[in-house]
Amino acid sequence: MPTPDLLLEIFLTFMRLGLTGFGGTNLAEMERLLVGQHGWIDARTFANGFALGQLMPGPNLLAVTHYGFVIAGGWGAAAATVGFYGPTSVLSAAAALLWKRHGAHPWSLTFRNALLPFGGGVLLAGVLVLGQTSIHSWAAAALALLAFVILRRTRLNSALVVVGAAVIGALIGL
Amino acid sequence: MTITLPTPPQREEAPPSGPVSPTFTQLARAFVGVALAGIGGGIPAHTRRAMLSRGWLDDAEFAEAFTLAQLTPGPNGVNLAAMVGARLGGKRGALASTLGVLTPGLIAMTAVTLLLLGLPGGLPPTLQSALRGAACAALAVMLAMVGPIVRVGWSLNAGKLPIGAAVTVLTFVALGVLRLDLLPVLVVLVGLGLMAHRPRRPQEK
Repeated sequence: MPTPDLLLEIFLTFMRLGLTGFGGTNLAEMERLLVGQHGWIDARTFANGFALGQLMPGPNLLAVTHYGFVIAGGWGAAAATVGFYGPTSVLSAAAALLWKRHGAHPWSLTFRNALLPFGGGVLLAGVLVLGQTSIHSWAAAALALLAFVILRRTRLNSALVVVGAAVIGALIGL
Repeated sequence: MTITLPTPPQREEAPPSGPVSPTFTQLARAFVGVALAGIGGGIPAHTRRAMLSRGWLDDAEFAEAFTLAQLTPGPNGVNLAAMVGARLGGKRGALASTLGVLTPGLIAMTAVTLLLLGLPGGLPPTLQSALRGAACAALAVMLAMVGPIVRVGWSLNAGKLPIGAAVTVLTFVALGVLRLDLLPVLVVLVGLGLMAHRPRRPQEK
């Protein structure tokens, strides 16, 4: 069993990641902390976990459970998952109740307007980081482009597209 | 994915139209269903369908919850579940819907992780290739989602100042290119936005 210190650090790190992802996930910060600063996982595990997360039922970010498991087994997975989802869920529930009361206040709108562009920038940074970790060849770039076009043009379930890309990847030995 | 702007609730507090509020089990079960339908994403769309079909929320109520879920930090789908749960059943409701939306994926992810890590000699090359392919598609999924969300923040001007576009670009450069620590960047750039958008006269933009 991993030391309580490590579990606490995992919990706090993932809590921070959960609370600093706006409009989705802060992949850039996640990679910086997990791969760079702590050195808990390598870039390959990071990209693999993210891809696996896309295949799972439910929210796309179950990669955190995978990362937690790789870092410190079952306890690590629990610490990462609870840390990542717990505080933000509590916050959301609280916000839902607060907004019912104060949604019309002028500062509510100000806050929203200040946060939305920041959230956009966070998402774009995540795309850059994910691109750097998963695109290492022209074939990979072409596959990503193909998947993007299919997703934009059709209403195909994205899990199917991900599975399809996995099959192609295996066939061409990406 | 589109973002609906929050409409300030001007309508007076009418008692909720559906007087039957769902129980813990009903909420949890509904969100397990949402999670199972939402393989590969699309949780908000599935949540909407699940809530409307049961008569627990109407479209306006859903839009408000969805916008709030975009604004609170953290994973959207789970935030949305927590918000809808809180709205329908208070704290217990939030717990039920959050657990419901997470459980199927947690079981699946744990199983797959155990399987992958338990393979002797690490991942076989074919599986490595398959995961690389999946990662390319995962990037595409992310790209397809980013456009509409970025556009909303991008077009938020303060008067004539294109503050939304500026903050979007600065955030991208600071976090993606320079890989700066998030918290100071957040304080500076969100602070900038708060200043630019501070309430002045009671007048639109």
